[in-house]
Amino acid sequence: MSPEYFLRSLLLIILATFSANASNWLYLAKLSSVGSISEEETCEKLKGLIQRQVQMCKRNLEVMDSLCHYYKQCMVSAESGVGLALSKYILGYLDHAREGGGTREAAFVYAISSAGVAFAVTRACSSGELDKCGCDRTVQGGSPQGFQWSGCSDNIAYGVAFSQSFVDVRERSKGASSNRALMNLHNNEAGRKAILNNMRVECKCHGVSGSCEFKTCWKAMPPFRKVGNVLKEKFDGATEVEQSEIGSTKVLVPKNSQFKPHTDEDLVYLDSSPDFCDHDLKNGVLGTSGRQCNKTSKAIDGCELMCCGRGFHTDEVEVVERCSCKFHWCCSVKCKPCHRVVEIHTCR
Amino acid sequence: MAGAIIENMSTRKLCIVGGILLVFQVIAFLVGGLIAPSPTTAVPYTSMKCIDVRKNHHKTKWLMPWGPNHCDKLKDFDEAVSRQIEANDIVFAVHIPLPNKEMSPWFQFMLFIMQLDIAFKMDNDLKENAEITLDVSLAYRDGMFDDWEEIAHAIEIRKLKCTFGSPKTLESEGRHYDCDFLPFMEIGSVAHKYYLINIRLPVNERKGINVGIGEIKDIRLVGIHQNGGFTKVWFAMKTFLTPSILIIMVWYWRRITLMTRAPVLLEKVIFALGISMTFINIPVEWFSIGFDWTWMLLFGDIRQGIFYAMLLSFWIIFCGEHMMDQNERNRLSGYWKQVGPIAVGSFCLFIFDMCERGVQLKNPFYSIWTTEVGTELAGLIFRFKFLMLITLACAAMTVIFFIVSQVTEGHWRWGDVTIQVNSAFFTGIYGMWNLYVFALMFLYAPSHKNYGEDQSNGDLGVSSGEELQLTTTITHVDGPTEVYKLARKEAQE
Repeated sequence: MSPEYFLRSLLLIILATFSANASNWLYLAKLSSVGSISEEETCEKLKGLIQRQVQMCKRNLEVMDSLCHYYKQCMVSAESGVGLALSKYILGYLDHAREGGGTREAAFVYAISSAGVAFAVTRACSSGELDKCGCDRTVQGGSPQGFQWSGCSDNIAYGVAFSQSFVDVRERSKGASSNRALMNLHNNEAGRKAILNNMRVECKCHGVSGSCEFKTCWKAMPPFRKVGNVLKEKFDGATEVEQSEIGSTKVLVPKNSQFKPHTDEDLVYLDSSPDFCDHDLKNGVLGTSGRQCNKTSKAIDGCELMCCGRGFHTDEVEVVERCSCKFHWCCSVKCKPCHRVVEIHTCR
Repeated sequence: MAGAIIENMSTRKLCIVGGILLVFQVIAFLVGGLIAPSPTTAVPYTSMKCIDVRKNHHKTKWLMPWGPNHCDKLKDFDEAVSRQIEANDIVFAVHIPLPNKEMSPWFQFMLFIMQLDIAFKMDNDLKENAEITLDVSLAYRDGMFDDWEEIAHAIEIRKLKCTFGSPKTLESEGRHYDCDFLPFMEIGSVAHKYYLINIRLPVNERKGINVGIGEIKDIRLVGIHQNGGFTKVWFAMKTFLTPSILIIMVWYWRRITLMTRAPVLLEKVIFALGISMTFINIPVEWFSIGFDWTWMLLFGDIRQGIFYAMLLSFWIIFCGEHMMDQNERNRLSGYWKQVGPIAVGSFCLFIFDMCERGVQLKNPFYSIWTTEVGTELAGLIFRFKFLMLITLACAAMTVIFFIVSQVTEGHWRWGDVTIQVNSAFFTGIYGMWNLYVFALMFLYAPSHKNYGEDQSNGDLGVSSGEELQLTTTITHVDGPTEVYKLARKEAQE
């Protein structure tokens, strides 16, 4: 994982999350062809960053670069973890979504993006690609006495702080008073909380003859897939909110006062989701027509739900697969090609 | 011990002495709690995947994960496939510490554990009881631009213990196994500023090396070292305490020699306890700051072992001197049955420690826990710990009941119910030790289920058989017997 690559991924995130035209993290895969971010000019060329973010990009070139890579990895694992169902579902909507809709899906995207940034930076810290990390005193949590006296604080503190300053700056620059900014900030934080609240404590005993007379424990990040799953649950139970003023500060409160108020970890949204079934470019909805579906699934990726009752085509396609392969733990794969006929279902 | 200070001092003075000791005890707590940082730090490292291009270029054999001369890196293994790089050309590199930091002799020791990220793939599944073969090397340097000097190189085999949480279907492909972490490396001194670890996972299909270990995505290490700040506070405390114990020891022995009679056994044992405490206290660790003494960790273990053995012997003799029959008094030979097992037990622990830390002097990657013997022992040690815990709990109960019975009146009143504390103390303690012995005999009796396993233990070979026997002896025979004897005596008292 080269540093260049990491940074690139971060940019991709940002690109993907914040650019007005492509607020979809799944875009990352398509955008991975962006060259390495090794020069400051690259920052300028990245569309979708606001001026403050461009400055941060220039100041933290190495962070940006390696971030990109890890971020992409995170998203890939989240995608498979959350289930392709969800990702495909929002894909139809978000591919061309505009900033306008403060929907449940947008809440999920913001949360997982901000979690992804925190995760990616933390991971890059432990690989030595970033200089500051847990020992950086400008970030909250850095130990004041230094590495030699008491070690450094957990890298996750740095990752979260970086995510806060980099991802949230976009909303804060608007004054953080609009409904949408409040919603985004909340969901960004919920994403980071999904990592922080699921940290695992691991311990090692190292006393005389391996006894637990001495024991050292540390916090380890959950696999990003787990973060994705947590956020998927929050997505399912997201709270619809509206703005309300308490004193002079604006806050988001549940629209239905019967519901108990949301916590820091919950996702919130303002607008209900549009109908994803039909092609509606005005709202950025591509429709599900022509999308591949799963005949046996009862979930959202199943043909019944996804095709919105319009039915589906079934085509028989011959695919060449690799079979009777010999694998090593990496790289070398010796296989024979096998031909197989598979059924592909697409929505009408 | 007639005529000891404790018997002749006035209560007021005794209280003053006690108070002063208490103040020092509080200070000792405060020093740790307020000045020192936490004793150890764990630093997570993610290894970089370097491409070993040395065959073509004849460059240095050490591959750096980052910095000015960093290696040709792979971001992930998909890239390796597209670039036609094979498993044998990939080196996992970890630099210790992370950028812009330096290791320091104040860290005293470093130990590393390894975590493997193994992804599930339908047609490249992890074999049952898979073993991973690691070709590991460790190097150091003291300047950012010096050459790397090799410290150790070894080929190590570790057993993979992994579970997979989801059903093994096509949908689960790419999910990671949940693997126990593996012991990786331990060194007893941190004399250099920079360390470099290079790990290779050589594949040899003919010999079945590193075959069926799944699809490895990442190798992560966690490095644990003592915090410099803690070491400094610790050394300071040792340096302060050494003369205090030394002075009181000299004073004590002078008092004893001034008397006309020869010193009694208990006095000698107390003196020996003082010597072993001083042995622990002497801050020889200061030398570790200037010299690269990797045996310091082992030496520390030995000193601690001697102290514990001495302390146990002291307790036994102290109890015996106050309880045993008149004719057995004042001779060490009268206690050989009690002290002997302690010596044997400590010796066994010493041998065991030598087997791990001793070997680690030569090969820091060695770990007894990964060998067959080690895993067997780990079972035994669990039982030993369990026994120790229960014993401690019982001893603590005895002490608590004792104190309660001393400070309170003979009985407590709770409403209409009157509790006879003293009687409760006698019956409670008597019952507790009986239960203890009962539980011991029940729990440590040979199990039906283990008859088969015992057979297989025998196949492990002569040396392992011996070691097993030794440890079994301590736990099963001697430990309980001693406690049992003491318990009976106490109960009879």
